[in-house]
Amino acid sequence: MNAVVFNSVTKRFQHRPALFNWLGRERSGATEALRRVSLHVPKGEALVLLGPNGSGKTTTLKLISTMLIPDEGAVAICGADTLQEGGTVRRKVGFAAANERSFFPRLTARENLDFFAVLEDVTKQERGARVEEKLGLTGLADAGDTLVMKFSSGMYQRLGVARALLKNPEVLLLDEPTRSLDPGSALRFWPFVRELLSGGTTLVLTTHNFQEAAAVADRIVVLRRGEVRSERSFGRGATDTPSTDLPSTDHPRNALPSNCRPSLDEVKAFYFQATGDGEDAPAFETAL
Amino acid sequence: MIRVSLSEKLAAIVRRDVLTTIRYRNGFLLSAVGVLAEVVAFRYMARAIGPSFRPEGVDYFPFLLVGSGFYTFLITGVQAFLSTVQEAQQTGTLEVLLTTATPAPVLIFLSAFSAFAGKLANLVLFLAVGLLLFRVPLLHPNLLGVGLIFVLSLAVVLALGVFAAALQVAVQKGSAVIWLLGSVWFLTGTVFPVSALPLPLRWAAWSIPVTHSLTGMRGALLLGKSTSELAPEILWLSAAALVLIPASLGFFSRVLGRGRREGTLSAY
Repeated sequence: MNAVVFNSVTKRFQHRPALFNWLGRERSGATEALRRVSLHVPKGEALVLLGPNGSGKTTTLKLISTMLIPDEGAVAICGADTLQEGGTVRRKVGFAAANERSFFPRLTARENLDFFAVLEDVTKQERGARVEEKLGLTGLADAGDTLVMKFSSGMYQRLGVARALLKNPEVLLLDEPTRSLDPGSALRFWPFVRELLSGGTTLVLTTHNFQEAAAVADRIVVLRRGEVRSERSFGRGATDTPSTDLPSTDHPRNALPSNCRPSLDEVKAFYFQATGDGEDAPAFETAL
Repeated sequence: MIRVSLSEKLAAIVRRDVLTTIRYRNGFLLSAVGVLAEVVAFRYMARAIGPSFRPEGVDYFPFLLVGSGFYTFLITGVQAFLSTVQEAQQTGTLEVLLTTATPAPVLIFLSAFSAFAGKLANLVLFLAVGLLLFRVPLLHPNLLGVGLIFVLSLAVVLALGVFAAALQVAVQKGSAVIWLLGSVWFLTGTVFPVSALPLPLRWAAWSIPVTHSLTGMRGALLLGKSTSELAPEILWLSAAALVLIPASLGFFSRVLGRGRREGTLSAY
Protein backbone atom coordinates (compact mmCIF):
# COMPACT_ATOMS: atom_id res chain seq x y z
CA MET A 1 0.00 0.00 0.00
CA ASN A 2 1.20 3.53 -0.77
CA ALA A 3 1.46 5.87 2.20
CA VAL A 4 1.92 8.96 0.02
CA VAL A 5 0.69 9.48 -3.53
CA PHE A 6 1.24 12.62 -5.62
CA ASN A 7 -0.80 12.50 -8.78
CA SER A 8 0.38 15.10 -11.28
CA VAL A 9 0.54 17.85 -8.66
CA THR A 10 1.13 21.46 -9.59
CA LYS A 11 1.57 24.20 -7.01
CA ARG A 12 1.84 27.87 -7.89
CA PHE A 13 2.46 30.86 -5.65
CA GLN A 14 0.91 34.09 -6.83
CA HIS A 15 2.77 37.36 -6.44
CA ARG A 16 0.40 40.18 -5.58
CA PRO A 17 2.13 43.51 -5.94
CA ALA A 18 1.03 46.49 -3.87
CA LEU A 19 -1.70 48.81 -5.16
CA PHE A 20 0.79 51.48 -6.13
CA ASN A 21 3.41 49.21 -7.63
CA TRP A 22 4.94 52.06 -9.60
CA LEU A 23 6.44 53.24 -6.30
CA GLY A 24 8.52 50.06 -6.12
CA ARG A 25 9.34 47.14 -8.32
CA GLU A 26 7.56 44.16 -6.80
CA ARG A 27 7.21 41.28 -9.24
CA SER A 28 3.84 40.08 -10.40
CA GLY A 29 2.66 36.81 -11.92
CA ALA A 30 3.20 33.41 -10.32
CA THR A 31 6.01 31.08 -9.34
CA GLU A 32 5.44 27.45 -10.17
CA ALA A 33 6.87 25.68 -7.14
CA LEU A 34 5.90 22.19 -8.33
CA ARG A 35 5.02 21.18 -11.87
CA ARG A 36 3.03 18.00 -12.56
CA VAL A 37 4.86 16.03 -9.90
CA SER A 38 3.88 12.39 -9.50
CA LEU A 39 5.30 10.37 -6.64
CA HIS A 40 4.44 7.21 -4.75
CA VAL A 41 5.93 6.38 -1.36
CA PRO A 42 5.18 2.81 -0.27
CA LYS A 43 4.32 2.26 3.39
CA GLY A 44 7.44 1.94 5.51
CA GLU A 45 9.79 3.47 2.97
CA ALA A 46 12.29 6.26 3.62
CA LEU A 47 12.16 8.71 0.74
CA VAL A 48 14.77 11.45 0.64
CA LEU A 49 14.17 14.58 -1.42
CA LEU A 50 17.33 16.23 -2.69
CA GLY A 51 17.55 19.37 -4.73
CA PRO A 52 18.93 22.88 -4.84
CA ASN A 53 17.27 25.75 -2.94
CA GLY A 54 13.88 26.58 -4.41
CA SER A 55 13.48 23.19 -6.06
CA GLY A 56 10.18 22.43 -4.29
CA LYS A 57 11.27 20.12 -1.45
CA THR A 58 9.58 21.98 1.41
CA THR A 59 6.52 22.67 -0.75
CA THR A 60 6.22 18.91 -1.23
CA LEU A 61 6.25 18.34 2.53
CA LYS A 62 3.74 21.14 3.12
CA LEU A 63 1.40 19.60 0.57
CA ILE A 64 1.57 16.27 2.41
CA SER A 65 0.92 17.94 5.79
CA THR A 66 -2.08 19.96 4.42
CA MET A 67 -0.35 23.26 5.19
CA LEU A 68 -0.79 23.77 1.46
CA ILE A 69 -3.30 22.38 -0.97
CA PRO A 70 -2.50 21.69 -4.62
CA ASP A 71 -3.64 23.89 -7.49
CA GLU A 72 -3.85 20.92 -9.84
CA GLY A 73 -3.66 17.21 -9.28
CA ALA A 74 -4.19 15.41 -5.98
CA VAL A 75 -2.25 14.31 -2.92
CA ALA A 76 -3.41 11.27 -0.96
CA ILE A 77 -2.06 10.05 2.37
CA CYS A 78 -2.83 6.43 3.27
CA GLY A 79 -5.76 6.68 0.88
CA ALA A 80 -7.14 9.98 2.22
CA ASP A 81 -7.22 13.00 -0.10
CA THR A 82 -5.59 16.05 1.48
CA LEU A 83 -8.22 18.39 0.11
CA GLN A 84 -11.36 16.37 0.86
CA GLU A 85 -10.23 14.58 4.03
CA GLY A 86 -7.79 17.01 5.60
CA GLY A 87 -8.76 16.05 9.16
CA THR A 88 -8.01 12.37 8.52
CA VAL A 89 -4.68 13.26 6.94
CA ARG A 90 -3.66 15.46 9.85
CA ARG A 91 -4.13 12.55 12.27
CA LYS A 92 -1.68 10.46 10.26
CA VAL A 93 1.09 12.94 9.44
CA GLY A 94 3.75 14.36 11.76
CA PHE A 95 5.75 17.28 10.38
CA ALA A 96 9.00 18.59 11.83
CA ALA A 97 9.21 21.87 9.93
CA ALA A 98 12.48 23.63 9.28
CA ASN A 99 11.15 26.69 11.14
CA GLU A 100 12.82 26.22 14.49
CA ARG A 101 10.97 28.94 16.35
CA SER A 102 7.49 27.52 16.01
CA PHE A 103 7.05 26.98 19.74
CA PHE A 104 5.73 29.00 22.65
CA PRO A 105 8.92 30.63 23.93
CA ARG A 106 7.80 31.12 27.53
CA LEU A 107 6.73 27.53 28.01
CA THR A 108 9.19 24.80 28.87
CA ALA A 109 9.91 22.01 26.41
CA ARG A 110 7.72 19.65 28.45
CA GLU A 111 4.87 22.19 28.61
CA ASN A 112 5.10 22.78 24.86
CA LEU A 113 4.92 19.08 24.09
CA ASP A 114 2.12 18.55 26.57
CA PHE A 115 0.15 21.39 24.93
CA PHE A 116 0.60 19.99 21.42
CA ALA A 117 -0.21 16.47 22.69
CA VAL A 118 -3.62 17.73 23.86
CA LEU A 119 -4.30 19.25 20.44
CA GLU A 120 -3.19 15.99 18.81
CA ASP A 121 -5.84 14.14 20.82
CA VAL A 122 -3.39 12.15 22.94
CA THR A 123 -5.46 11.09 25.94
CA LYS A 124 -4.68 12.24 29.46
CA GLN A 125 -3.76 8.70 30.48
CA GLU A 126 -1.14 8.39 27.72
CA ARG A 127 0.03 12.00 27.58
CA GLY A 128 2.62 12.18 30.35
CA ALA A 129 4.39 9.00 29.33
CA ARG A 130 4.24 9.97 25.64
CA VAL A 131 5.84 13.35 26.29
CA GLU A 132 8.59 11.83 28.43
CA GLU A 133 9.23 9.17 25.79
CA LYS A 134 9.64 11.72 23.01
CA LEU A 135 11.83 13.98 25.16
CA GLY A 136 14.02 10.98 25.92
CA LEU A 137 14.15 9.82 22.28
CA THR A 138 15.36 13.22 21.12
CA GLY A 139 17.87 13.65 23.92
CA LEU A 140 15.98 16.46 25.63
CA ALA A 141 15.01 14.71 28.87
CA ASP A 142 17.36 16.90 30.92
CA ALA A 143 16.11 20.06 29.24
CA GLY A 144 12.42 19.29 29.71
CA ASP A 145 11.90 22.04 32.29
CA THR A 146 13.87 24.72 30.43
CA LEU A 147 11.95 27.54 28.75
CA VAL A 148 12.35 26.96 25.02
CA MET A 149 13.33 30.62 24.52
CA LYS A 150 16.65 29.56 26.06
CA PHE A 151 17.16 26.69 23.61
CA SER A 152 19.93 26.55 21.02
CA SER A 153 19.01 26.01 17.36
CA GLY A 154 19.91 22.33 17.62
CA MET A 155 17.66 21.87 20.66
CA TYR A 156 14.79 23.57 18.84
CA GLN A 157 15.30 21.20 15.97
CA ARG A 158 15.20 18.16 18.24
CA LEU A 159 12.10 19.50 19.95
CA GLY A 160 10.49 19.86 16.54
CA VAL A 161 11.15 16.19 15.85
CA ALA A 162 9.77 15.26 19.30
CA ARG A 163 6.60 17.22 18.52
CA ALA A 164 6.20 15.54 15.14
CA LEU A 165 6.48 12.14 16.84
CA LEU A 166 3.88 12.90 19.55
CA LYS A 167 0.98 11.37 17.62
CA ASN A 168 3.02 8.32 16.58
CA PRO A 169 2.46 9.31 12.94
CA GLU A 170 2.09 6.88 10.09
CA VAL A 171 3.93 9.36 7.86
CA LEU A 172 6.78 11.40 9.30
CA LEU A 173 7.99 14.50 7.46
CA LEU A 174 11.42 15.88 8.34
CA ASP A 175 12.50 19.14 6.72
CA GLU A 176 16.29 19.36 6.89
CA PRO A 177 16.27 17.73 10.35
CA THR A 178 20.00 17.95 11.03
CA ARG A 179 20.61 21.42 9.62
CA SER A 180 21.38 22.88 13.05
CA LEU A 181 22.76 19.78 14.74
CA ASP A 182 26.43 19.34 15.55
CA PRO A 183 28.14 16.54 13.56
CA GLY A 184 28.06 14.11 16.49
CA SER A 185 24.34 14.61 17.09
CA ALA A 186 23.65 14.22 13.38
CA LEU A 187 25.55 10.92 13.29
CA ARG A 188 23.42 9.67 16.20
CA PHE A 189 20.23 11.04 14.63
CA TRP A 190 20.34 8.92 11.47
CA PRO A 191 20.26 5.48 13.17
CA PHE A 192 17.48 6.88 15.36
CA VAL A 193 15.46 7.67 12.24
CA ARG A 194 16.13 4.19 10.82
CA GLU A 195 14.95 2.75 14.13
CA LEU A 196 11.67 4.63 13.75
CA LEU A 197 11.19 3.09 10.34
CA SER A 198 11.46 -0.40 11.73
CA GLY A 199 8.14 0.32 13.46
CA GLY A 200 6.47 0.76 10.05
CA THR A 201 6.57 4.58 9.87
CA THR A 202 6.90 6.07 6.41
CA LEU A 203 9.47 8.83 6.15
CA VAL A 204 9.82 11.72 3.74
CA LEU A 205 12.93 13.76 4.46
CA THR A 206 14.45 16.76 2.72
CA THR A 207 18.12 17.53 2.97
CA HIS A 208 21.09 19.16 1.30
CA ASN A 209 23.39 16.72 3.06
CA PHE A 210 24.55 13.78 0.92
CA GLN A 211 25.77 11.90 4.00
CA GLU A 212 22.30 12.16 5.53
CA ALA A 213 20.69 10.93 2.33
CA ALA A 214 23.07 7.99 2.20
CA ALA A 215 22.43 7.10 5.83
CA VAL A 216 18.65 7.23 5.69
CA ALA A 217 17.30 6.73 2.16
CA ASP A 218 15.60 3.72 0.69
CA ARG A 219 14.93 5.88 -2.31
CA ILE A 220 16.10 9.29 -3.43
CA VAL A 221 14.17 11.74 -5.56
CA VAL A 222 15.98 14.70 -7.05
CA LEU A 223 13.86 17.80 -7.59
CA ARG A 224 14.92 20.76 -9.64
CA ARG A 225 12.81 23.79 -10.46
CA GLY A 226 9.68 22.05 -9.28
CA GLU A 227 10.09 18.93 -11.35
CA VAL A 228 11.20 15.41 -10.54
CA ARG A 229 14.48 15.09 -12.41
CA SER A 230 15.28 11.55 -11.39
CA GLU A 231 14.61 8.97 -8.72
CA ARG A 232 16.39 5.85 -7.67
CA SER A 233 15.76 3.05 -5.20
CA PHE A 234 18.65 1.55 -3.31
CA GLY A 235 18.99 -1.96 -1.93
CA ARG A 236 18.46 -5.51 -3.16
CA GLY A 237 17.19 -5.63 -6.72
CA ALA A 238 16.79 -1.87 -6.85
CA THR A 239 17.18 -0.05 -10.13
CA ASP A 240 16.71 3.44 -11.47
CA THR A 241 12.98 3.96 -11.75
CA PRO A 242 11.04 6.18 -14.12
CA SER A 243 9.71 9.11 -12.17
CA THR A 244 6.00 8.43 -12.54
CA ASP A 245 5.68 4.66 -12.61
CA LEU A 246 6.78 3.44 -9.22
CA PRO A 247 5.32 0.12 -8.12
CA SER A 248 2.68 0.48 -5.44
CA THR A 249 3.81 -2.21 -3.04
CA ASP A 250 4.85 -2.41 0.59
CA HIS A 251 8.48 -1.63 0.87
CA PRO A 252 10.77 -4.64 1.55
CA ARG A 253 13.24 -2.55 3.55
CA ASN A 254 12.96 -4.58 6.69
CA ALA A 255 14.25 -7.60 4.79
CA LEU A 256 17.32 -5.75 3.58
CA PRO A 257 20.69 -6.06 5.25
CA SER A 258 22.12 -2.77 6.51
CA ASN A 259 24.92 -2.83 3.97
CA CYS A 260 22.31 -2.18 1.27
CA ARG A 261 22.39 1.55 2.10
CA PRO A 262 23.72 3.65 -0.75
CA SER A 263 27.27 4.85 -0.40
CA LEU A 264 28.07 8.56 -0.17
CA ASP A 265 29.73 8.42 -3.59
CA GLU A 266 26.70 6.75 -5.13
CA VAL A 267 24.42 9.49 -3.80
CA LYS A 268 26.71 12.27 -5.02
CA ALA A 269 27.09 10.74 -8.47
CA PHE A 270 23.35 10.23 -8.74
CA TYR A 271 22.59 13.79 -7.63
CA PHE A 272 25.01 15.49 -9.99
CA GLN A 273 23.91 13.31 -12.87
CA ALA A 274 20.27 14.15 -12.17
CA THR A 275 20.75 17.87 -11.75
CA GLY A 276 23.20 18.19 -14.62
CA ASP A 277 25.60 19.97 -12.30
CA GLY A 278 28.32 17.40 -12.89
CA GLU A 279 30.90 19.78 -14.32
CA ASP A 280 30.43 22.19 -11.41
CA ALA A 281 30.44 19.47 -8.80
CA PRO A 282 33.51 20.50 -6.81
CA ALA A 283 32.34 24.12 -6.48
CA PHE A 284 28.82 23.03 -5.65
CA GLU A 285 29.96 20.64 -2.93
CA THR A 286 32.07 23.34 -1.37
CA ALA A 287 29.04 25.59 -1.31
CA LEU A 288 27.04 22.89 0.46
CA MET B 1 -13.03 9.90 16.77
CA ILE B 2 -12.65 12.51 19.54
CA ARG B 3 -10.33 11.33 22.30
CA VAL B 4 -9.75 14.62 24.13
CA SER B 5 -12.75 16.72 25.15
CA LEU B 6 -13.23 20.37 24.23
CA SER B 7 -13.03 21.38 27.89
CA GLU B 8 -9.66 19.64 28.18
CA LYS B 9 -8.41 21.47 25.10
CA LEU B 10 -9.72 24.77 26.43
CA ALA B 11 -7.97 24.10 29.75
CA ALA B 12 -4.69 23.44 27.90
CA ILE B 13 -4.99 26.69 25.93
CA VAL B 14 -5.88 28.72 29.03
CA ARG B 15 -2.95 27.15 30.90
CA ARG B 16 -0.60 28.06 28.04
CA ASP B 17 -1.82 31.66 28.07
CA VAL B 18 -1.70 32.00 31.86
CA LEU B 19 1.84 30.59 32.02
CA THR B 20 2.95 32.92 29.23
CA THR B 21 1.37 35.94 30.95
CA ILE B 22 2.81 35.33 34.40
CA ARG B 23 6.26 34.62 32.97
CA TYR B 24 6.33 38.16 31.61
CA ARG B 25 6.79 39.07 35.26
CA ASN B 26 7.12 42.84 35.01
CA GLY B 27 4.45 43.16 32.34
CA PHE B 28 2.01 41.27 34.55
CA LEU B 29 2.65 43.57 37.53
CA LEU B 30 2.60 46.74 35.42
CA SER B 31 -0.74 45.73 33.98
CA ALA B 32 -2.20 45.38 37.49
CA VAL B 33 -0.79 48.78 38.48
CA GLY B 34 -2.29 50.28 35.31
CA VAL B 35 -5.73 48.96 36.27
CA LEU B 36 -5.47 50.53 39.73
CA ALA B 37 -4.30 53.87 38.33
CA GLU B 38 -7.23 53.96 35.91
CA VAL B 39 -9.78 53.36 38.69
CA VAL B 40 -8.28 56.12 40.82
CA ALA B 41 -8.29 58.52 37.84
CA PHE B 42 -11.97 57.80 37.17
CA ARG B 43 -12.81 58.38 40.82
CA TYR B 44 -11.34 61.86 40.80
CA MET B 45 -12.76 62.65 37.37
CA ALA B 46 -16.25 61.82 38.71
CA ARG B 47 -15.63 63.95 41.79
CA ALA B 48 -14.53 66.89 39.62
CA ILE B 49 -17.69 66.67 37.52
CA GLY B 50 -19.80 66.70 40.67
CA PRO B 51 -22.74 64.73 42.13
CA SER B 52 -25.43 66.46 40.08
CA PHE B 53 -24.46 64.55 36.91
CA ARG B 54 -26.38 61.25 37.18
CA PRO B 55 -26.44 59.59 33.73
CA GLU B 56 -29.12 56.88 33.35
CA GLY B 57 -30.09 57.48 37.00
CA VAL B 58 -26.82 56.42 38.63
CA ASP B 59 -23.84 58.25 40.12
CA TYR B 60 -21.19 59.09 37.56
CA PHE B 61 -18.38 57.06 39.16
CA PRO B 62 -20.16 53.66 39.00
CA PHE B 63 -21.46 54.63 35.52
CA LEU B 64 -17.88 55.23 34.42
CA LEU B 65 -16.53 52.21 36.29
CA VAL B 66 -18.90 49.69 34.71
CA GLY B 67 -18.89 51.33 31.27
CA SER B 68 -15.16 51.76 30.95
CA GLY B 69 -14.28 48.46 32.68
CA PHE B 70 -16.61 46.37 30.54
CA TYR B 71 -15.76 48.20 27.31
CA THR B 72 -12.03 47.78 27.98
CA PHE B 73 -12.56 44.10 28.74
CA LEU B 74 -14.39 43.51 25.46
CA ILE B 75 -11.98 45.46 23.27
CA THR B 76 -8.73 44.33 24.87
CA GLY B 77 -10.00 40.75 24.62
CA VAL B 78 -10.25 41.11 20.85
CA GLN B 79 -6.86 42.79 20.82
CA ALA B 80 -5.22 40.08 22.96
CA PHE B 81 -6.57 37.36 20.71
CA LEU B 82 -5.39 39.16 17.60
CA SER B 83 -1.92 39.55 19.14
CA THR B 84 -1.84 35.81 19.78
CA VAL B 85 -2.62 35.13 16.12
CA GLN B 86 -0.05 37.70 14.92
CA GLU B 87 2.66 36.22 17.14
CA ALA B 88 1.78 32.72 15.95
CA GLN B 89 2.17 33.91 12.35
CA GLN B 90 5.53 35.51 13.05
CA THR B 91 6.98 32.46 14.79
CA GLY B 92 5.45 29.95 12.38
CA THR B 93 3.41 28.37 15.18
CA LEU B 94 0.13 29.06 13.38
CA GLU B 95 0.91 26.69 10.51
CA VAL B 96 1.90 23.97 12.96
CA LEU B 97 -1.22 24.48 15.09
CA LEU B 98 -3.39 24.22 12.01
CA THR B 99 -1.94 20.82 11.13
CA THR B 100 -2.83 19.24 14.47
CA ALA B 101 -5.75 16.86 14.89
CA THR B 102 -7.87 19.69 16.35
CA PRO B 103 -10.04 21.33 13.65
CA ALA B 104 -8.97 24.89 12.91
CA PRO B 105 -12.31 26.62 13.75
CA VAL B 106 -12.40 24.85 17.12
CA LEU B 107 -8.83 25.81 17.85
CA ILE B 108 -9.36 29.44 16.90
CA PHE B 109 -12.56 29.74 18.92
CA LEU B 110 -10.99 28.20 22.04
CA SER B 111 -7.96 30.45 21.68
CA ALA B 112 -10.20 33.50 21.47
CA PHE B 113 -12.08 32.34 24.54
CA SER B 114 -8.81 32.00 26.43
CA ALA B 115 -7.74 35.51 25.45
CA PHE B 116 -10.94 36.88 26.98
CA ALA B 117 -10.50 34.75 30.09
CA GLY B 118 -7.14 36.46 30.58
CA LYS B 119 -8.74 39.88 30.37
CA LEU B 120 -11.51 38.80 32.73
CA ALA B 121 -8.97 38.89 35.58
CA ASN B 122 -8.34 42.56 34.76
CA LEU B 123 -12.08 43.31 34.71
CA VAL B 124 -12.67 41.62 38.05
CA LEU B 125 -9.75 43.53 39.58
CA PHE B 126 -10.99 46.78 38.04
CA LEU B 127 -14.54 46.40 39.35
CA ALA B 128 -13.49 44.98 42.73
CA VAL B 129 -11.09 47.84 43.41
CA GLY B 130 -13.61 50.42 42.25
CA LEU B 131 -16.58 49.01 44.14
CA LEU B 132 -14.79 48.04 47.35
CA LEU B 133 -12.13 50.73 47.66
CA PHE B 134 -14.50 53.57 46.89
CA ARG B 135 -17.50 51.91 48.54
CA VAL B 136 -19.96 52.01 45.69
CA PRO B 137 -23.30 50.64 46.95
CA LEU B 138 -24.89 47.98 44.74
CA LEU B 139 -28.66 48.01 45.31
CA HIS B 140 -30.15 44.60 44.54
CA PRO B 141 -28.08 43.71 41.49
CA ASN B 142 -29.75 41.23 39.13
CA LEU B 143 -27.02 38.59 39.03
CA LEU B 144 -28.86 36.43 36.50
CA GLY B 145 -29.14 39.47 34.24
CA VAL B 146 -25.45 40.27 34.78
CA GLY B 147 -24.57 36.70 33.79
CA LEU B 148 -26.79 36.74 30.70
CA ILE B 149 -25.50 40.08 29.45
CA PHE B 150 -21.94 38.98 30.13
CA VAL B 151 -22.24 35.67 28.27
CA LEU B 152 -24.03 37.20 25.29
CA SER B 153 -21.57 40.11 25.08
CA LEU B 154 -18.73 37.62 25.23
CA ALA B 155 -20.26 35.60 22.40
CA VAL B 156 -20.52 38.73 20.24
CA VAL B 157 -16.96 39.88 20.83
CA LEU B 158 -15.61 36.33 20.43
CA ALA B 159 -17.10 36.44 16.97
CA LEU B 160 -15.48 39.84 16.37
CA GLY B 161 -12.18 38.35 17.56
CA VAL B 162 -12.47 35.45 15.11
CA PHE B 163 -13.35 37.97 12.39
CA ALA B 164 -10.23 40.01 13.26
CA ALA B 165 -8.13 36.81 13.15
CA ALA B 166 -9.57 35.93 9.75
CA LEU B 167 -8.79 39.42 8.47
CA GLN B 168 -5.26 39.05 9.83
CA VAL B 169 -4.76 35.78 7.94
CA ALA B 170 -6.43 37.14 4.80
CA VAL B 171 -4.80 40.54 4.44
CA GLN B 172 -2.45 40.70 7.48
CA LYS B 173 -4.44 43.63 8.85
CA GLY B 174 -6.68 42.27 11.59
CA SER B 175 -5.90 45.45 13.48
CA ALA B 176 -8.50 47.14 11.25
CA VAL B 177 -11.21 45.59 13.44
CA ILE B 178 -9.59 47.03 16.58
CA TRP B 179 -9.30 50.40 14.87
CA LEU B 180 -12.97 50.26 13.89
CA LEU B 181 -14.10 49.29 17.38
CA GLY B 182 -11.85 51.93 18.93
CA SER B 183 -13.07 54.66 16.62
CA VAL B 184 -16.72 54.20 17.62
CA TRP B 185 -16.12 54.10 21.39
CA PHE B 186 -17.73 57.51 21.88
CA LEU B 187 -20.98 56.10 20.43
CA THR B 188 -21.17 53.20 22.85
CA GLY B 189 -22.01 55.11 26.02
CA THR B 190 -18.72 54.28 27.71
CA VAL B 191 -18.06 57.62 29.44
CA PHE B 192 -21.27 59.53 28.74
CA PRO B 193 -24.82 58.38 28.00
CA VAL B 194 -25.97 57.72 24.44
CA SER B 195 -28.88 60.11 25.07
CA ALA B 196 -26.39 63.00 24.93
CA LEU B 197 -25.77 62.29 21.23
CA PRO B 198 -27.76 63.88 18.38
CA LEU B 199 -30.47 61.63 16.95
CA PRO B 200 -28.60 60.31 13.85
CA LEU B 201 -25.64 59.31 16.01
CA ARG B 202 -28.00 57.69 18.51
CA TRP B 203 -29.24 55.44 15.72
CA ALA B 204 -25.67 54.61 14.85
CA ALA B 205 -24.96 53.92 18.53
CA TRP B 206 -27.80 51.44 18.79
CA SER B 207 -26.47 49.44 15.86
CA ILE B 208 -23.27 48.70 17.78
CA PRO B 209 -23.50 45.56 19.96
CA VAL B 210 -21.18 46.98 22.64
CA THR B 211 -23.69 49.78 23.32
CA HIS B 212 -26.26 47.15 24.31
CA SER B 213 -23.67 45.32 26.39
CA LEU B 214 -22.92 48.43 28.42
CA THR B 215 -26.55 49.47 28.80
CA GLY B 216 -27.54 45.97 29.85
CA MET B 217 -24.64 45.54 32.26
CA ARG B 218 -25.31 48.88 33.99
CA GLY B 219 -29.00 48.10 34.17
CA ALA B 220 -28.46 44.67 35.74
CA LEU B 221 -25.58 45.56 38.06
CA LEU B 222 -26.25 49.15 39.12
CA LEU B 223 -30.01 49.57 38.72
CA GLY B 224 -31.10 46.00 39.52
CA LYS B 225 -33.35 45.84 36.44
CA SER B 226 -35.32 42.61 36.11
CA THR B 227 -34.57 40.15 33.34
CA SER B 228 -37.75 41.17 31.51
CA GLU B 229 -36.68 44.82 31.70
CA LEU B 230 -33.38 43.79 30.15
CA ALA B 231 -35.17 41.94 27.33
CA PRO B 232 -34.34 44.51 24.57
CA GLU B 233 -30.61 44.21 25.28
CA ILE B 234 -30.78 40.43 25.70
CA LEU B 235 -32.67 39.97 22.44
CA TRP B 236 -30.41 42.33 20.52
CA LEU B 237 -27.24 40.65 21.76
CA SER B 238 -28.68 37.16 21.15
CA ALA B 239 -29.53 38.05 17.57
CA ALA B 240 -26.08 39.58 17.02
CA ALA B 241 -24.38 36.46 18.45
CA LEU B 242 -26.52 34.12 16.34
CA VAL B 243 -25.55 35.97 13.18
CA LEU B 244 -21.94 36.85 13.95
CA ILE B 245 -20.62 33.54 15.35
CA PRO B 246 -21.41 31.33 12.33
CA ALA B 247 -20.55 34.18 9.96
CA SER B 248 -17.13 34.76 11.51
CA LEU B 249 -16.31 31.02 11.68
CA GLY B 250 -17.44 30.59 8.07
CA PHE B 251 -15.31 33.54 7.01
CA PHE B 252 -12.34 32.16 8.93
CA SER B 253 -12.70 28.74 7.25
CA ARG B 254 -12.82 30.35 3.81
CA VAL B 255 -9.77 32.46 4.58
CA LEU B 256 -7.95 29.41 5.87
CA GLY B 257 -8.66 27.52 2.66
CA ARG B 258 -7.37 30.46 0.66
CA GLY B 259 -4.28 30.69 2.90
CA ARG B 260 -3.58 26.99 2.33
CA ARG B 261 -4.01 27.44 -1.40
CA GLU B 262 -1.80 30.54 -1.62
CA GLY B 263 0.71 29.60 1.06
CA THR B 264 0.11 32.76 3.06
CA LEU B 265 -0.86 31.33 6.46
CA SER B 266 2.31 32.65 8.01
CA ALA B 267 2.54 35.86 6.00
CA TYR B 268 2.45 38.90 8.26
